[in-house]
Amino acid sequence: MAKANGRRSICILLAFIFTLAIMTGLGPVSAAETIRFVAANHPFHDVIRPLIPEFEKETGIRVIVENYEENQLNQKLTVEFTSGLSTVDVFMTRPLQEGRLFFKNNWYESLNSYLDAQTPAVWNWDDFPESTKQAVTIDGQIYAVPIATEWHTLFYRKDLFAEANLQPPTTFDELVAAAEKLHNPDAGICGIVLRGQRGAAVTQFSSCLYGFGGDFIQDGKCMIDSPEAIEAFKFYGKLLHAYGPPGVTNMSWPQAQALFASGNAAMWADASVLIAGIIDPDKSVVADEVGVAVFPAGPAGRRPYMVVPWGISVGAQSQNKAAAWEFILWATNHVNSKKALLSGLTVARNSTWEDREVVSELYPGLGESSIESGPVGVPYDRPVMTAVTEARDAIGEVIVHAIETGGTGDIERMAREAARKVDRLLVQAGEGRE
Amino acid sequence: MKMQMKAGKRQKDFWFNVGWYILIILVMIPFIFPLVWIITSAFKIQADITAIPPKWLFTPTVVNFKRVFMEQDFGRFLWNSTVVAVAATLVSLVIGLPAAYSISRYKQNFLGIFVLTARLMPGISFLVPWYILFSKIKLIDTYTALIASHMLVVLPLIVWIMINYFDGVPQELEESARVDGCNIQNAFLRIILPISGPGILTATTLSFLFSWNNFMFSLVLSTYRTKTLPIGIYNFVSYAEVNWGSVMAAAVIIIAPAIILTMFFQRYIIKGLTVGAVKG
Amino acid sequence: MNRSKGINIERNIKWIFPLPTVLFIFLMMIFPICYTFYISLTDWNIASIIGTSFIGLDNYIDLFQEPRFYNALALTLYFTFLAVGVEVVLGVVMALILNQDFRGKNVVKFLLLLPMVATPVAIGLAWTLFYEPTIGLANYALKILGVPASEWLASRTMVIPSLALVDIWQWTPMIALIVLAGLASLSTEAFESAVVDGANWLQILRYVTLPLLRPTILIAVVLRSIEALKTFDIIYVMTAGGPGYASETLNIYCYHLSFGYFRFGAASSALIALFALVLGFSLLVLWLRRRYEV
Repeated sequence: MAKANGRRSICILLAFIFTLAIMTGLGPVSAAETIRFVAANHPFHDVIRPLIPEFEKETGIRVIVENYEENQLNQKLTVEFTSGLSTVDVFMTRPLQEGRLFFKNNWYESLNSYLDAQTPAVWNWDDFPESTKQAVTIDGQIYAVPIATEWHTLFYRKDLFAEANLQPPTTFDELVAAAEKLHNPDAGICGIVLRGQRGAAVTQFSSCLYGFGGDFIQDGKCMIDSPEAIEAFKFYGKLLHAYGPPGVTNMSWPQAQALFASGNAAMWADASVLIAGIIDPDKSVVADEVGVAVFPAGPAGRRPYMVVPWGISVGAQSQNKAAAWEFILWATNHVNSKKALLSGLTVARNSTWEDREVVSELYPGLGESSIESGPVGVPYDRPVMTAVTEARDAIGEVIVHAIETGGTGDIERMAREAARKVDRLLVQAGEGRE
Repeated sequence: MKMQMKAGKRQKDFWFNVGWYILIILVMIPFIFPLVWIITSAFKIQADITAIPPKWLFTPTVVNFKRVFMEQDFGRFLWNSTVVAVAATLVSLVIGLPAAYSISRYKQNFLGIFVLTARLMPGISFLVPWYILFSKIKLIDTYTALIASHMLVVLPLIVWIMINYFDGVPQELEESARVDGCNIQNAFLRIILPISGPGILTATTLSFLFSWNNFMFSLVLSTYRTKTLPIGIYNFVSYAEVNWGSVMAAAVIIIAPAIILTMFFQRYIIKGLTVGAVKG
Repeated sequence: MNRSKGINIERNIKWIFPLPTVLFIFLMMIFPICYTFYISLTDWNIASIIGTSFIGLDNYIDLFQEPRFYNALALTLYFTFLAVGVEVVLGVVMALILNQDFRGKNVVKFLLLLPMVATPVAIGLAWTLFYEPTIGLANYALKILGVPASEWLASRTMVIPSLALVDIWQWTPMIALIVLAGLASLSTEAFESAVVDGANWLQILRYVTLPLLRPTILIAVVLRSIEALKTFDIIYVMTAGGPGYASETLNIYCYHLSFGYFRFGAASSALIALFALVLGFSLLVLWLRRRYEV
């Protein structure tokens, strides 16, 4: 009797738990149309999220927002899309990183017909610069709306430069000279910090590559072993080996940013959007001393990267595509783009940048560097291909080796091996030629 | 003579004790220090966190905690993590304890190894198949899917810790109960379980922790409604900056309940150790 | 009537008791294992234009010829042996200490258990800051002690020990806890007779405690090693396999193959390899257990 009671109570407890779990897990089905917006932890999301109630009121469409760190976002989307059963309606995407991959697998809804038929003229697709439109188009299919631009920027310590009577460098030679002069390991200050971690460094290395006249891929073949590229590897490696911080080969942008923000670097070159972490007095002890300059010119000229890092897309497996498109139109319209730029996000729309009121709010130097980088900017900061992560790792190996040996190691051989690896990847994806 | 020897011994005892306590403190410092650092960092502004030399004196601020609770749904994450961890642990105990007992008593080694196999597969292998499976039966973004996935982590842990514990329980106990007229189930419920306190508490503590801190399964199997705490911490690792203050505050929020639970259970573990009904 | 029902349940109790557990595990695992194994026999690559086809054991052949695989294998074993080895020694010592009686014992017990409860991703981020060569506390501490600074996670030679240190810091308490539970279930007879025979504490430790604890320690080693072989969170957060590939253990390698390169076919074969490694290791340890069980 007692045993039966004991067992019964356990059963009841179990049943209760399961019922509770199932019930609380599935909410009541909402009558209003609902879309699922999956975003990255990014200033765009930070700006849009609080404005969503406005959208919901205007259109009656409910928006559920999820946000993830960019690598987890990629992982989650990949798992969901691979299963073919994803319910994602709107999502943020990186054209240069996963654009080709997702496109190839038909995970983007093609936006061409939406732009033609379901877009009010006032929204104006032509307000986006041609280069940004091209960045989100593959084989004539537009798969995303660009939401930001980003370019290679040089951040420098105004106080240290003033002390040493230096002007911000405009050429690679001046860059090395400045780094040498300001490199002060005893005071804990390194001349310059750049990303040195395997795959992450490739995007920052790209401007050096272009500055020496090199390129990642040309006519379907990887050019990372060309004489210009070898020069670039040696330059990057020598610079960081001599004037970079200890442990630079494990640094991606968070580490480099933290180092500069704590006053331990005289210069830092990285993506323009990262300025947020060094001009906020709550985050940076050098907030008042940050100077912004255009990335210097190499022997082949000034060729910093200027890219569309993020776009916003409609999921091909979505059941609410019309509503999803409406949301995208709203999130990227003139009004919201202006709000975004005012909060520091460098949006893609031309008209927003022409608005004086807005541009004057930007941090001094940032607007100018954008304008100067514009005409000479290279629209990609990594090899444009599908298997881009694997290619980045291969090229990153060469960069790490160059840094570790100060540019004196067997760079030619390693670059050749990396180039062959990338060639293979290109061929596999149908993007190369034999 | 005797008095001198006694005094000498007392002195020796005193220094021995002092040495012992110093040793304990030295051992403790490296274990505690990182946690102390995380907790204090949660109250600093970011510039203070990355400062070198480290800032021991600083003006504390609660802005990080405010940010964590208000800008992100940390209240919801807390609830979700709790529901999943409690349910996964409870259900695993209910089906795992009898299994462990049987494997121990009847030496069903093959079953034991089979249970352990669940821990051998790397987490990644489960992601796509489970997503497909749970989507098809419409259980994505429900607690059930999360609980089931966490159980796969927690159940083998409980079973194996308890197998070992039950191995140490003398069989005479069960046999004497049966002589008194109980069948095996009763003997298990009324005699064996009550004295298995320490083992069960260890297993429960560890299993709760494993579920509480699980990241990979929760990332894939949950959406906004059932998101758990460890995913929440990554909310502050964003595209353009790592908000260290908020990361630390989030870490404190995640760790705190686990600490409180350990503290609570630990008192029972002590009790179980001193009661020692098994011995003698 | 009642009696026959009772006997039936009783006789089959050895199957009824474990049934729910075994069934649950079987159901949750069978699909993923079959799926992974099946995929490992294909060349599924969502980055390539060529359709997926069945290629038999080619993935495995490629895997066993891939130097990066052997690098990952070696690093996995190195990390595991280093971490678990130190953890077991420290954990047993800790358990023995915690089993004594002294003032403040409960506080110490509580504090020493804390690292284990911390979320690995949070710990990983915090330790990354510690290990930062310029602004991190680790080098600051070394400077105070007069020891030359280290590059920690950026050094090819120091990266695995640095990662292992974090693992040791976090999981030694788990070993201690398991051993402590084991100590609790030991009968006191052996101890009492040893004391009566005039043994001192060191002899009791060597000849009574440790041998009796052996099965418990072995369980702790098995459980901990399985986790250590599959360590993911802290390595991913702290180095993502770098510098270069100097900390790319097998699990991280699998992750890169799956979600970095999207070569699911190849990744599945590597996952099966990792599974086989962990299985082999567990079987080995369990066989040792049976062998030394008198």
